[in-house]
Amino acid sequence: MNNIVIGQYIPGSSFLYKMDPRSKILALILLMVTTFVLTDIIQILVLLSVLLVILKLGGIPIGRIVKGLRPIIVLLFFTFTFQVLFIKTGRIILDETLHYSFYTILLAVGVVLFWMITKRFIKFKISYFLMMIVGILSIFMYYPIGDPFAQGQLVIYTGGLQGAFFIMVRLIIIVTLSTILTLTTKPTDLTLGLEQLLKPLSIIKVSAEEIALIISIALRYIPTLLDEANKIMLAQASRGVDFKEGKLKDKVVQIISLLVPMFIISFKRSDELANAMEARNFVPGNRRTRLHILTWQTIDTITIIITAITIPVAILLRVMLG
Amino acid sequence: MITVEHVSFDYHSQPDVLKDVSFTIDKGRWVSILGHNGSGKSTLAKLIVGLLKAKEGSITVDGIVLNEETVYQVRKKVGIVFQNPDNQFVGVTVEDDIAFGMENLCFTREEITKRIDKYAKQVGMEDYLSKEPHQLSGGQKQRVAIAGILAMDTDIIIFDEATSMLDPIGRDEILAFMQQLKHQGKTIITITHDMKEAVLSDEIIDLKEGQLLTHDKTKKVLQDKVTLNKSNLELLPSLKLYHKIKEAGIVNEELRDYLWQLSLQK
Ligand SMILES: Nc1ncnc2c1ncn2[C@@H]1O[C@H](COP(=O)(O)OP(=O)(O)O)[C@@H](O)[C@H]1O
Ligand SMILES: [Mg+2]
Repeated sequence: MNNIVIGQYIPGSSFLYKMDPRSKILALILLMVTTFVLTDIIQILVLLSVLLVILKLGGIPIGRIVKGLRPIIVLLFFTFTFQVLFIKTGRIILDETLHYSFYTILLAVGVVLFWMITKRFIKFKISYFLMMIVGILSIFMYYPIGDPFAQGQLVIYTGGLQGAFFIMVRLIIIVTLSTILTLTTKPTDLTLGLEQLLKPLSIIKVSAEEIALIISIALRYIPTLLDEANKIMLAQASRGVDFKEGKLKDKVVQIISLLVPMFIISFKRSDELANAMEARNFVPGNRRTRLHILTWQTIDTITIIITAITIPVAILLRVMLG
Repeated sequence: MITVEHVSFDYHSQPDVLKDVSFTIDKGRWVSILGHNGSGKSTLAKLIVGLLKAKEGSITVDGIVLNEETVYQVRKKVGIVFQNPDNQFVGVTVEDDIAFGMENLCFTREEITKRIDKYAKQVGMEDYLSKEPHQLSGGQKQRVAIAGILAMDTDIIIFDEATSMLDPIGRDEILAFMQQLKHQGKTIITITHDMKEAVLSDEIIDLKEGQLLTHDKTKKVLQDKVTLNKSNLELLPSLKLYHKIKEAGIVNEELRDYLWQLSLQK
Protein backbone atom coordinates (compact mmCIF):
# COMPACT_ATOMS: atom_id res chain seq x y z
CA MET A 1 0.00 0.00 0.00
CA ASN A 2 2.86 2.32 -0.68
CA ASN A 3 1.33 3.96 -3.70
CA ILE A 4 -1.69 5.71 -2.24
CA VAL A 5 -1.80 9.28 -3.37
CA ILE A 6 -3.99 11.71 -1.52
CA GLY A 7 -5.56 14.29 -3.74
CA GLN A 8 -4.87 14.24 -7.42
CA TYR A 9 -1.85 16.52 -7.52
CA ILE A 10 0.40 15.91 -10.50
CA PRO A 11 3.77 17.68 -10.46
CA GLY A 12 4.25 20.37 -13.06
CA SER A 13 5.68 23.82 -13.61
CA SER A 14 3.18 25.84 -15.63
CA PHE A 15 1.70 29.15 -14.46
CA LEU A 16 -1.11 27.26 -12.77
CA TYR A 17 1.48 25.73 -10.45
CA LYS A 18 3.14 29.04 -9.70
CA MET A 19 -0.06 30.68 -8.58
CA ASP A 20 -0.93 31.22 -4.94
CA PRO A 21 -3.47 28.63 -3.73
CA ARG A 22 -5.52 31.47 -2.28
CA SER A 23 -6.00 33.11 -5.67
CA LYS A 24 -6.77 29.74 -7.21
CA ILE A 25 -9.48 29.03 -4.65
CA LEU A 26 -10.94 32.53 -5.03
CA ALA A 27 -10.84 32.33 -8.83
CA LEU A 28 -12.58 28.98 -8.65
CA ILE A 29 -15.40 30.46 -6.56
CA LEU A 30 -15.73 33.54 -8.79
CA LEU A 31 -15.88 31.48 -11.98
CA MET A 32 -18.45 29.16 -10.43
CA VAL A 33 -20.66 32.15 -9.71
CA THR A 34 -20.25 33.29 -13.32
CA THR A 35 -21.18 29.84 -14.54
CA PHE A 36 -24.40 30.02 -12.58
CA VAL A 37 -25.22 33.53 -13.79
CA LEU A 38 -24.88 32.61 -17.48
CA THR A 39 -28.09 31.32 -19.07
CA ASP A 40 -27.19 31.29 -22.73
CA ILE A 41 -25.88 28.16 -24.35
CA ILE A 42 -23.46 30.01 -26.64
CA GLN A 43 -21.96 32.01 -23.75
CA ILE A 44 -21.45 28.97 -21.61
CA LEU A 45 -19.80 27.19 -24.52
CA VAL A 46 -17.48 30.18 -24.89
CA LEU A 47 -16.59 29.85 -21.21
CA LEU A 48 -15.92 26.14 -21.70
CA SER A 49 -13.61 26.82 -24.65
CA VAL A 50 -11.74 29.45 -22.63
CA LEU A 51 -11.27 26.80 -19.95
CA LEU A 52 -9.96 24.37 -22.55
CA VAL A 53 -7.42 26.97 -23.69
CA ILE A 54 -6.33 27.49 -20.07
CA LEU A 55 -5.94 23.73 -19.70
CA LYS A 56 -3.80 23.63 -22.82
CA LEU A 57 -1.63 26.56 -21.68
CA GLY A 58 -1.40 25.14 -18.18
CA GLY A 59 -0.15 21.84 -19.55
CA ILE A 60 -2.91 19.76 -17.99
CA PRO A 61 -3.70 16.63 -19.98
CA ILE A 62 -7.37 16.59 -20.92
CA GLY A 63 -7.50 12.93 -19.90
CA ARG A 64 -7.08 13.90 -16.26
CA ILE A 65 -10.13 16.17 -16.49
CA VAL A 66 -12.17 13.35 -18.02
CA LYS A 67 -11.04 11.16 -15.12
CA GLY A 68 -12.22 13.86 -12.74
CA LEU A 69 -15.64 13.73 -14.40
CA ARG A 70 -16.00 10.01 -13.84
CA PRO A 71 -17.41 10.19 -10.29
CA ILE A 72 -20.24 12.47 -11.41
CA ILE A 73 -21.26 10.45 -14.46
CA VAL A 74 -24.32 9.06 -12.67
CA LEU A 75 -25.28 12.58 -11.67
CA LEU A 76 -24.82 13.79 -15.26
CA PHE A 77 -26.95 10.92 -16.57
CA PHE A 78 -29.85 11.61 -14.21
CA THR A 79 -29.75 15.35 -14.80
CA PHE A 80 -29.79 14.75 -18.51
CA THR A 81 -32.71 12.31 -18.35
CA PHE A 82 -34.65 14.55 -16.03
CA GLN A 83 -34.22 17.60 -18.26
CA VAL A 84 -35.04 15.72 -21.46
CA LEU A 85 -38.21 14.20 -20.03
CA PHE A 86 -39.67 17.14 -18.19
CA ILE A 87 -38.90 20.30 -20.16
CA LYS A 88 -41.72 20.78 -22.64
CA THR A 89 -40.76 23.84 -24.69
CA GLY A 90 -39.76 24.21 -28.33
CA ARG A 91 -40.47 21.81 -31.15
CA ILE A 92 -41.31 18.15 -30.70
CA ILE A 93 -38.51 16.05 -32.15
CA LEU A 94 -39.56 12.63 -30.98
CA ASP A 95 -43.01 11.30 -30.19
CA GLU A 96 -43.24 7.57 -29.85
CA THR A 97 -45.61 5.21 -28.14
CA LEU A 98 -44.09 2.70 -25.73
CA HIS A 99 -45.79 -0.70 -25.75
CA TYR A 100 -45.60 -2.58 -22.50
CA SER A 101 -46.56 -6.19 -23.10
CA PHE A 102 -45.46 -9.47 -21.55
CA TYR A 103 -43.09 -10.10 -24.45
CA THR A 104 -41.53 -6.64 -24.69
CA ILE A 105 -40.90 -6.60 -20.96
CA LEU A 106 -39.40 -10.10 -21.18
CA LEU A 107 -37.14 -8.90 -23.99
CA ALA A 108 -36.12 -5.83 -22.02
CA VAL A 109 -35.27 -7.93 -18.98
CA GLY A 110 -33.24 -10.15 -21.29
CA VAL A 111 -31.31 -7.13 -22.54
CA VAL A 112 -30.62 -5.99 -18.97
CA LEU A 113 -29.40 -9.46 -17.98
CA PHE A 114 -27.20 -9.64 -21.05
CA TRP A 115 -25.77 -6.24 -20.18
CA MET A 116 -25.11 -7.25 -16.57
CA ILE A 117 -23.28 -10.41 -17.60
CA THR A 118 -21.22 -8.93 -20.41
CA LYS A 119 -20.43 -5.46 -19.01
CA ARG A 120 -17.35 -6.63 -17.18
CA PHE A 121 -15.73 -7.65 -20.47
CA ILE A 122 -16.48 -4.34 -22.17
CA LYS A 123 -14.00 -1.52 -21.95
CA PHE A 124 -16.29 1.41 -22.65
CA LYS A 125 -18.68 0.92 -19.76
CA ILE A 126 -20.56 4.20 -20.09
CA SER A 127 -21.24 3.88 -23.81
CA TYR A 128 -22.26 0.29 -23.20
CA PHE A 129 -24.72 1.41 -20.53
CA LEU A 130 -26.19 4.02 -22.88
CA MET A 131 -26.48 1.38 -25.62
CA MET A 132 -28.43 -0.79 -23.20
CA ILE A 133 -30.85 2.06 -22.41
CA VAL A 134 -31.34 2.83 -26.13
CA GLY A 135 -31.84 -0.88 -26.78
CA ILE A 136 -34.60 -1.15 -24.19
CA LEU A 137 -36.35 1.98 -25.46
CA SER A 138 -36.26 0.70 -29.06
CA ILE A 139 -37.80 -2.58 -27.96
CA PHE A 140 -40.73 -0.73 -26.37
CA MET A 141 -41.08 1.67 -29.30
CA TYR A 142 -40.47 -0.40 -32.41
CA TYR A 143 -41.29 -4.02 -31.54
CA PRO A 144 -44.89 -3.97 -30.34
CA ILE A 145 -45.15 -7.77 -30.11
CA GLY A 146 -47.85 -9.29 -27.93
CA ASP A 147 -50.89 -7.60 -26.43
CA PRO A 148 -49.82 -4.43 -24.62
CA PHE A 149 -51.43 -4.16 -21.18
CA ALA A 150 -50.22 -0.59 -20.86
CA GLN A 151 -48.90 2.13 -23.13
CA GLY A 152 -46.75 5.13 -22.50
CA GLN A 153 -45.69 8.12 -24.51
CA LEU A 154 -42.11 9.27 -24.94
CA VAL A 155 -42.07 12.88 -26.11
CA ILE A 156 -38.84 14.83 -26.45
CA TYR A 157 -38.79 18.57 -27.17
CA THR A 158 -35.95 20.66 -28.53
CA GLY A 159 -36.14 22.72 -25.32
CA GLY A 160 -35.54 19.57 -23.29
CA LEU A 161 -32.47 18.65 -25.26
CA GLN A 162 -31.11 22.19 -25.08
CA GLY A 163 -31.75 22.43 -21.35
CA ALA A 164 -30.13 19.07 -20.76
CA PHE A 165 -27.10 20.04 -22.82
CA PHE A 166 -26.79 23.36 -21.03
CA ILE A 167 -26.88 21.82 -17.57
CA MET A 168 -24.34 19.19 -18.61
CA VAL A 169 -21.93 21.84 -19.84
CA ARG A 170 -22.43 23.79 -16.61
CA LEU A 171 -21.67 20.73 -14.48
CA ILE A 172 -18.66 19.88 -16.63
CA ILE A 173 -17.30 23.40 -16.22
CA ILE A 174 -17.67 23.27 -12.44
CA VAL A 175 -15.97 19.90 -12.16
CA THR A 176 -13.22 21.00 -14.55
CA LEU A 177 -12.58 24.10 -12.46
CA SER A 178 -12.21 22.14 -9.24
CA THR A 179 -10.12 19.49 -10.97
CA ILE A 180 -7.72 22.17 -12.20
CA LEU A 181 -7.37 23.35 -8.61
CA THR A 182 -6.68 19.91 -7.15
CA LEU A 183 -4.42 18.82 -9.98
CA THR A 184 -2.12 21.82 -9.68
CA THR A 185 -2.12 22.41 -5.90
CA LYS A 186 -0.51 20.18 -3.31
CA PRO A 187 -2.89 19.15 -0.51
CA THR A 188 -0.63 20.96 1.97
CA ASP A 189 -0.79 24.19 -0.03
CA LEU A 190 -4.52 23.79 -0.46
CA THR A 191 -4.92 23.46 3.31
CA LEU A 192 -2.69 26.46 3.88
CA GLY A 193 -4.63 28.54 1.34
CA LEU A 194 -7.90 27.53 2.91
CA GLU A 195 -6.54 28.43 6.33
CA GLN A 196 -5.56 31.92 5.20
CA LEU A 197 -8.90 32.49 3.50
CA LEU A 198 -10.79 31.33 6.58
CA LYS A 199 -8.80 33.63 8.89
CA PRO A 200 -11.53 36.29 9.02
CA LEU A 201 -13.76 33.68 10.65
CA SER A 202 -11.81 34.20 13.88
CA ILE A 203 -14.28 37.03 14.51
CA ILE A 204 -16.96 34.43 15.11
CA LYS A 205 -14.53 32.31 17.18
CA VAL A 206 -13.77 29.78 14.47
CA SER A 207 -10.07 28.98 14.48
CA ALA A 208 -8.88 28.64 10.89
CA GLU A 209 -5.56 27.28 12.14
CA GLU A 210 -7.21 24.48 14.02
CA ILE A 211 -9.38 23.58 11.05
CA ALA A 212 -6.27 23.49 8.87
CA LEU A 213 -4.42 21.35 11.42
CA ILE A 214 -7.32 18.91 11.55
CA ILE A 215 -7.40 18.68 7.75
CA SER A 216 -3.67 18.15 7.47
CA ILE A 217 -3.60 15.46 10.18
CA ALA A 218 -6.54 13.76 8.48
CA LEU A 219 -4.64 13.89 5.18
CA ARG A 220 -1.55 12.50 6.84
CA TYR A 221 -3.39 9.60 8.47
CA ILE A 222 -5.61 8.45 5.58
CA PRO A 223 -2.91 6.20 4.06
CA THR A 224 -1.99 4.83 7.49
CA LEU A 225 -5.61 4.02 8.29
CA LEU A 226 -6.21 2.44 4.88
CA ASP A 227 -3.17 0.30 5.41
CA GLU A 228 -4.50 -0.69 8.80
CA ALA A 229 -7.97 -1.49 7.43
CA ASN A 230 -6.25 -3.77 4.96
CA LYS A 231 -4.35 -5.57 7.69
CA ILE A 232 -7.46 -5.99 9.82
CA MET A 233 -9.38 -7.39 6.85
CA LEU A 234 -6.63 -9.92 6.28
CA ALA A 235 -6.58 -10.80 9.97
CA GLN A 236 -10.36 -11.21 10.07
CA ALA A 237 -10.29 -13.17 6.82
CA SER A 238 -7.85 -15.59 8.44
CA ARG A 239 -10.44 -16.02 11.19
CA GLY A 240 -13.07 -16.93 8.63
CA VAL A 241 -14.76 -13.61 7.89
CA ASP A 242 -15.49 -13.48 4.17
CA PHE A 243 -15.41 -9.89 2.91
CA LYS A 244 -16.41 -10.66 -0.66
CA GLU A 245 -19.61 -12.68 -0.47
CA GLY A 246 -22.63 -12.75 1.73
CA LYS A 247 -26.14 -11.52 2.36
CA LEU A 248 -26.97 -8.26 4.04
CA LYS A 249 -26.72 -9.84 7.49
CA ASP A 250 -23.22 -11.17 6.74
CA LYS A 251 -22.22 -7.80 5.34
CA VAL A 252 -23.19 -6.13 8.62
CA VAL A 253 -21.05 -8.63 10.54
CA GLN A 254 -18.14 -8.01 8.16
CA ILE A 255 -18.37 -4.25 8.56
CA ILE A 256 -18.56 -4.50 12.35
CA SER A 257 -15.55 -6.82 12.40
CA LEU A 258 -13.66 -4.11 10.54
CA LEU A 259 -15.01 -0.99 12.23
CA VAL A 260 -14.68 -2.03 15.87
CA PRO A 261 -10.92 -2.73 15.74
CA MET A 262 -10.44 0.35 13.54
CA PHE A 263 -12.13 2.54 16.16
CA ILE A 264 -10.15 1.11 19.04
CA ILE A 265 -6.86 1.46 17.21
CA SER A 266 -7.71 4.98 16.08
CA PHE A 267 -8.44 6.08 19.63
CA LYS A 268 -5.12 4.68 20.82
CA ARG A 269 -3.42 6.37 17.89
CA SER A 270 -4.96 9.75 18.53
CA ASP A 271 -4.04 9.50 22.20
CA GLU A 272 -0.41 8.77 21.36
CA LEU A 273 -0.35 11.44 18.66
CA ALA A 274 -1.71 14.01 21.09
CA ASN A 275 1.07 13.06 23.54
CA ALA A 276 3.71 13.34 20.84
CA MET A 277 2.40 16.75 19.77
CA GLU A 278 2.26 18.08 23.31
CA ALA A 279 5.72 16.76 24.11
CA ARG A 280 6.94 18.73 21.11
CA ASN A 281 5.63 21.93 22.65
CA PHE A 282 2.33 22.13 20.86
CA VAL A 283 -0.23 24.18 22.76
CA PRO A 284 -3.62 24.53 21.05
CA GLY A 285 -4.39 28.14 20.25
CA ASN A 286 -0.86 29.39 20.78
CA ARG A 287 0.92 31.40 18.13
CA ARG A 288 3.34 29.37 16.04
CA THR A 289 5.62 30.16 13.14
CA ARG A 290 4.84 28.46 9.89
CA LEU A 291 7.45 26.80 7.76
CA HIS A 292 5.43 27.32 4.61
CA ILE A 293 4.13 30.72 3.67
CA LEU A 294 2.21 31.76 0.61
CA THR A 295 3.45 34.41 -1.78
CA TRP A 296 0.98 36.53 -3.69
CA GLN A 297 2.33 37.57 -7.07
CA THR A 298 1.19 39.83 -9.89
CA ILE A 299 -0.29 36.88 -11.73
CA ASP A 300 -2.58 36.27 -8.75
CA THR A 301 -3.86 39.84 -8.74
CA ILE A 302 -4.43 39.69 -12.50
CA THR A 303 -6.27 36.39 -12.18
CA ILE A 304 -8.56 37.71 -9.48
CA ILE A 305 -9.32 40.89 -11.46
CA ILE A 306 -10.13 38.97 -14.63
CA THR A 307 -12.27 36.34 -12.92
CA ALA A 308 -14.04 38.99 -10.86
CA ILE A 309 -14.88 40.97 -14.00
CA THR A 310 -16.58 37.94 -15.56
CA ILE A 311 -19.40 38.20 -13.01
CA PRO A 312 -20.67 41.72 -13.90
CA VAL A 313 -20.14 40.88 -17.58
CA ALA A 314 -22.27 37.77 -17.20
CA ILE A 315 -24.98 39.73 -15.37
CA LEU A 316 -24.90 42.41 -18.05
CA LEU A 317 -25.23 39.82 -20.81
CA ARG A 318 -28.12 38.20 -19.02
CA VAL A 319 -29.96 41.50 -18.54
CA MET A 320 -29.31 42.65 -22.13
CA LEU A 321 -30.48 39.40 -23.66
CA GLY A 322 -33.54 39.47 -21.44
CA MET B 1 20.11 16.98 35.45
CA ILE B 2 16.90 15.23 36.43
CA THR B 3 15.90 14.65 40.02
CA VAL B 4 12.92 12.46 40.79
CA GLU B 5 11.93 12.50 44.46
CA HIS B 6 9.43 10.16 46.10
CA VAL B 7 7.19 10.13 43.04
CA SER B 8 3.98 8.10 43.13
CA PHE B 9 1.36 7.90 40.42
CA ASP B 10 -1.87 6.09 39.59
CA TYR B 11 -4.31 6.14 36.67
CA HIS B 12 -7.22 6.58 39.08
CA SER B 13 -7.18 2.86 39.75
CA GLN B 14 -5.63 0.79 42.49
CA PRO B 15 -2.81 0.00 42.98
CA ASP B 16 -0.28 2.72 42.22
CA VAL B 17 1.56 2.38 38.91
CA LEU B 18 4.65 4.07 40.43
CA LYS B 19 5.46 3.76 44.11
CA ASP B 20 7.78 6.19 45.86
CA VAL B 21 10.37 6.33 43.06
CA SER B 22 13.49 8.45 43.62
CA PHE B 23 16.64 8.83 41.53
CA THR B 24 18.97 11.41 40.04
CA ILE B 25 20.34 11.47 36.52
CA ASP B 26 23.39 13.67 36.02
CA LYS B 27 23.98 15.83 32.97
CA GLY B 28 25.58 14.05 30.03
CA ARG B 29 24.85 10.58 31.37
CA TRP B 30 23.23 7.79 29.41
CA VAL B 31 20.76 5.87 31.53
CA SER B 32 18.80 2.75 30.61
CA ILE B 33 15.46 2.14 32.28
CA LEU B 34 14.62 -1.57 32.34
CA GLY B 35 11.60 -3.48 33.55
CA HIS B 36 8.83 -5.86 32.50
CA ASN B 37 5.86 -4.69 30.45
CA GLY B 38 3.56 -2.71 32.67
CA SER B 39 6.23 -1.92 35.26
CA GLY B 40 5.64 1.81 34.76
CA LYS B 41 8.51 2.83 32.49
CA SER B 42 6.42 4.79 29.99
CA THR B 43 4.45 6.37 32.80
CA LEU B 44 7.72 7.57 34.33
CA ALA B 45 8.81 9.06 31.00
CA LYS B 46 5.48 10.85 30.58
CA LEU B 47 5.79 12.24 34.11
CA ILE B 48 9.22 13.67 33.32
CA VAL B 49 7.94 15.58 30.26
CA GLY B 50 4.83 16.66 32.14
CA LEU B 51 2.32 14.73 30.05
CA LEU B 52 1.11 13.25 33.33
CA LYS B 53 1.07 14.82 36.77
CA ALA B 54 2.57 13.02 39.76
CA LYS B 55 0.22 12.19 42.61
CA GLU B 56 2.98 12.64 45.14
CA GLY B 57 6.59 13.69 45.06
CA SER B 58 8.43 16.13 42.83
CA ILE B 59 10.39 16.14 39.60
CA THR B 60 13.12 18.70 38.95
CA VAL B 61 14.73 19.24 35.56
CA ASP B 62 17.81 21.44 35.43
CA GLY B 63 16.75 23.15 38.60
CA ILE B 64 13.18 23.78 37.44
CA VAL B 65 10.56 22.13 39.62
CA LEU B 66 7.95 20.63 37.31
CA ASN B 67 4.44 22.01 37.77
CA GLU B 68 1.61 23.40 35.63
CA GLU B 69 3.38 26.70 35.06
CA THR B 70 6.86 25.35 34.37
CA VAL B 71 5.83 22.44 32.20
CA TYR B 72 6.39 24.36 28.95
CA GLN B 73 9.87 25.40 30.12
CA VAL B 74 10.68 21.81 30.99
CA ARG B 75 9.49 20.55 27.61
CA LYS B 76 12.03 22.84 25.96
CA LYS B 77 14.71 20.87 27.80
CA VAL B 78 13.38 17.34 27.41
CA GLY B 79 12.52 15.69 24.11
CA ILE B 80 10.96 12.27 23.82
CA VAL B 81 10.92 9.71 21.02
CA PHE B 82 8.04 7.28 21.40
CA GLN B 83 7.73 3.62 20.49
CA ASN B 84 5.35 3.70 17.52
CA PRO B 85 6.90 5.50 14.55
CA ASP B 86 3.48 6.07 12.98
CA ASN B 87 1.84 7.71 15.95
CA GLN B 88 4.32 10.53 16.38
CA PHE B 89 4.64 11.67 12.79
CA VAL B 90 2.65 14.90 12.81
CA GLY B 91 3.67 16.55 9.56
CA VAL B 92 2.38 15.71 6.11
CA THR B 93 5.98 15.42 4.89
CA VAL B 94 9.37 14.71 6.49
CA GLU B 95 10.24 18.39 6.30
CA ASP B 96 6.97 19.43 7.96
CA ASP B 97 7.45 16.90 10.71
CA ILE B 98 10.97 18.02 11.57
CA ALA B 99 9.67 21.60 11.61
CA PHE B 100 6.68 20.91 13.87
CA GLY B 101 8.41 21.37 17.23
CA MET B 102 10.33 24.41 16.02
CA GLU B 103 7.14 25.99 14.69
CA ASN B 104 5.60 25.54 18.13
CA LEU B 105 8.63 27.18 19.72
CA CYS B 106 8.20 30.15 17.36
CA PHE B 107 11.64 29.88 15.75
CA THR B 108 12.08 32.15 12.74
CA ARG B 109 11.51 30.56 9.37
CA GLU B 110 15.15 31.04 8.36
CA GLU B 111 16.24 29.25 11.50
CA ILE B 112 13.75 26.45 10.90
CA THR B 113 14.91 25.83 7.32
CA LYS B 114 18.52 25.93 8.40
CA ARG B 115 17.96 23.40 11.16
CA ILE B 116 15.85 21.12 8.98
CA ASP B 117 18.79 20.84 6.60
CA LYS B 118 21.30 20.34 9.38
CA TYR B 119 19.44 17.68 11.32
CA ALA B 120 18.00 15.88 8.32
CA LYS B 121 21.60 15.46 7.23
CA GLN B 122 22.65 14.28 10.66
CA VAL B 123 20.07 11.49 10.61
CA GLY B 124 20.66 10.76 6.93
CA MET B 125 17.22 11.82 5.72
CA GLU B 126 18.26 14.81 3.63
CA ASP B 127 17.11 13.17 0.41
CA TYR B 128 13.66 12.45 1.78
CA LEU B 129 12.52 15.91 2.86
CA SER B 130 9.41 15.99 0.67
CA LYS B 131 8.49 12.34 1.23
CA GLU B 132 5.30 11.41 3.06
CA PRO B 133 5.32 9.03 6.05
CA HIS B 134 3.70 6.14 4.19
CA GLN B 135 6.62 6.18 1.77
CA LEU B 136 9.12 5.60 4.61
CA SER B 137 10.23 2.56 6.59
CA GLY B 138 9.75 2.41 10.35
CA GLY B 139 13.43 3.12 10.95
CA GLN B 140 13.33 6.14 8.68
CA LYS B 141 10.27 7.49 10.49
CA GLN B 142 12.07 7.10 13.83
CA ARG B 143 15.06 8.95 12.39
CA VAL B 144 12.75 11.78 11.35
CA ALA B 145 11.31 11.84 14.88
CA ILE B 146 14.87 12.07 16.26
CA ALA B 147 15.70 14.90 13.86
CA GLY B 148 12.57 16.72 15.05
CA ILE B 149 13.72 16.42 18.67
CA LEU B 150 17.34 17.35 17.89
CA ALA B 151 16.14 20.41 15.98
CA MET B 152 14.46 21.69 19.15
CA ASP B 153 17.88 21.38 20.76
CA THR B 154 16.77 19.78 24.01
CA ASP B 155 19.52 18.82 26.47
CA ILE B 156 17.78 15.63 27.47
CA ILE B 157 16.35 13.03 25.11
CA ILE B 158 14.18 10.13 26.22
CA PHE B 159 13.78 7.12 23.95
CA ASP B 160 10.73 5.12 25.03
CA GLU B 161 11.30 1.73 23.39
CA ALA B 162 12.07 3.70 20.26
CA THR B 163 13.77 0.73 18.62
CA SER B 164 11.34 -2.01 19.61
CA MET B 165 9.26 -1.82 16.42
CA LEU B 166 12.25 -1.72 14.10
CA ASP B 167 14.14 -4.43 12.26
CA PRO B 168 17.73 -5.16 13.38
CA ILE B 169 19.21 -2.78 10.80
CA GLY B 170 16.92 0.07 11.83
CA ARG B 171 17.72 -0.70 15.47
CA ASP B 172 21.48 -0.53 14.94
CA GLU B 173 21.11 2.79 13.12
CA ILE B 174 19.23 4.31 16.03
CA LEU B 175 21.77 2.89 18.50
CA ALA B 176 24.53 4.57 16.51
CA PHE B 177 22.68 7.89 16.85
CA MET B 178 22.35 7.46 20.57
CA GLN B 179 26.12 7.10 20.80
CA GLN B 180 26.62 10.19 18.66
CA LEU B 181 24.28 12.17 20.87
CA LYS B 182 26.08 11.00 23.97
CA HIS B 183 29.31 12.35 22.47
CA GLN B 184 27.58 15.66 21.82
CA GLY B 185 26.98 15.92 25.54
CA LYS B 186 23.24 15.17 25.59
CA THR B 187 21.68 13.42 28.54
CA ILE B 188 20.06 10.25 27.25
CA ILE B 189 17.40 8.06 28.83
CA THR B 190 16.59 4.88 26.95
CA ILE B 191 13.70 2.68 27.97
CA THR B 192 14.46 -0.73 26.55
CA HIS B 193 14.31 -4.50 26.65
CA ASP B 194 17.32 -4.76 24.42
CA MET B 195 20.55 -5.88 26.06
CA LYS B 196 22.60 -4.33 23.28
CA GLU B 197 21.08 -0.97 24.11
CA ALA B 198 21.46 -1.35 27.86
CA VAL B 199 25.12 -2.36 27.61
CA LEU B 200 25.92 0.91 25.84
CA SER B 201 24.55 3.05 28.64
CA ASP B 202 26.42 4.39 31.68
CA GLU B 203 23.78 3.54 34.26
CA ILE B 204 20.89 1.16 34.64
CA ILE B 205 17.62 1.84 36.43
CA ASP B 206 15.54 -1.28 36.99
CA LEU B 207 11.83 -0.95 37.69
CA LYS B 208 9.62 -3.71 39.01
CA GLU B 209 5.88 -3.24 39.49
CA GLY B 210 6.34 0.48 39.90
CA GLN B 211 9.19 0.27 42.38
CA LEU B 212 12.80 1.14 41.80
CA LEU B 213 14.75 -2.08 42.16
CA THR B 214 18.25 -1.05 41.15
CA HIS B 215 20.04 2.10 40.11
CA ASP B 216 23.74 1.70 39.51
CA LYS B 217 26.58 1.86 37.01
CA THR B 218 25.96 -0.47 34.08
CA LYS B 219 29.22 -2.35 34.60
CA LYS B 220 28.44 -2.89 38.23
CA VAL B 221 24.97 -4.19 37.51
CA LEU B 222 26.34 -6.55 34.89
CA GLN B 223 29.06 -7.83 37.20
CA ASP B 224 26.79 -8.34 40.17
CA LYS B 225 25.00 -11.65 39.82
CA VAL B 226 22.41 -10.83 42.48
CA THR B 227 21.04 -7.65 40.95
CA LEU B 228 21.24 -9.22 37.52
CA ASN B 229 19.02 -12.07 38.63
CA LYS B 230 16.47 -9.66 39.99
CA SER B 231 16.30 -7.68 36.78
CA ASN B 232 14.79 -9.20 33.70
CA LEU B 233 17.65 -8.56 31.31
CA GLU B 234 18.01 -10.99 28.48
CA LEU B 235 21.76 -11.59 28.88
CA LEU B 236 24.22 -11.95 26.06
CA PRO B 237 25.68 -15.50 25.85
CA SER B 238 29.17 -14.18 26.62
CA LEU B 239 27.95 -12.53 29.81
CA LYS B 240 26.11 -15.69 30.87
CA LEU B 241 29.31 -17.65 30.32
CA TYR B 242 31.30 -15.05 32.24
CA HIS B 243 29.07 -15.50 35.28
CA LYS B 244 29.08 -19.30 34.93
CA ILE B 245 32.87 -19.36 34.95
CA LYS B 246 33.00 -17.00 37.91
CA GLU B 247 30.51 -19.11 39.85
CA ALA B 248 32.38 -22.33 39.10
CA GLY B 249 35.47 -20.76 40.57
CA ILE B 250 37.53 -21.26 37.46
CA VAL B 251 40.41 -18.84 37.75
CA ASN B 252 41.42 -17.90 34.26
CA GLU B 253 41.75 -14.13 34.34
CA GLU B 254 42.44 -13.90 30.64
CA LEU B 255 39.31 -15.81 29.61
CA ARG B 256 37.17 -13.94 32.09
CA ASP B 257 38.42 -10.58 30.90
CA TYR B 258 37.88 -11.62 27.32
CA LEU B 259 34.26 -12.65 27.96
CA TRP B 260 33.67 -9.43 29.88
CA GLN B 261 34.99 -7.31 27.03
CA LEU B 262 32.91 -9.29 24.58
CA SER B 263 29.79 -8.58 26.63
CA LEU B 264 30.36 -4.87 26.56
CA GLN B 265 30.78 -4.68 22.83
CA LYS B 266 27.82 -3.55 20.85
N1 LIG C 1 -3.70 5.55 30.01
C1 LIG C 1 -3.74 4.59 30.95
N2 LIG C 1 -4.86 4.40 31.69
C2 LIG C 1 -4.89 3.44 32.64
N3 LIG C 1 -3.89 2.61 32.93
C3 LIG C 1 -2.75 2.75 32.24
C4 LIG C 1 -2.62 3.73 31.20
N4 LIG C 1 -1.37 3.63 30.67
C5 LIG C 1 -0.77 2.63 31.34
N5 LIG C 1 -1.57 2.10 32.27
C6 LIG C 1 -1.24 1.00 33.20
O1 LIG C 1 -0.14 1.42 33.95
C7 LIG C 1 0.79 0.39 34.13
C8 LIG C 1 2.17 0.84 33.66
O2 LIG C 1 2.12 1.11 32.27
P1 LIG C 1 3.38 1.64 31.45
O3 LIG C 1 3.94 2.79 32.16
O4 LIG C 1 2.92 1.84 30.07
O5 LIG C 1 4.35 0.39 31.55
P2 LIG C 1 5.64 0.04 30.66
O6 LIG C 1 5.94 1.19 29.79
O7 LIG C 1 6.70 -0.26 31.66
O8 LIG C 1 5.28 -1.19 29.89
C9 LIG C 1 0.26 -0.80 33.36
O9 LIG C 1 -0.33 -1.69 34.27
C10 LIG C 1 -0.77 -0.22 32.46
O10 LIG C 1 -1.81 -1.12 32.26
MG1 LIG D 1 5.98 1.37 27.66
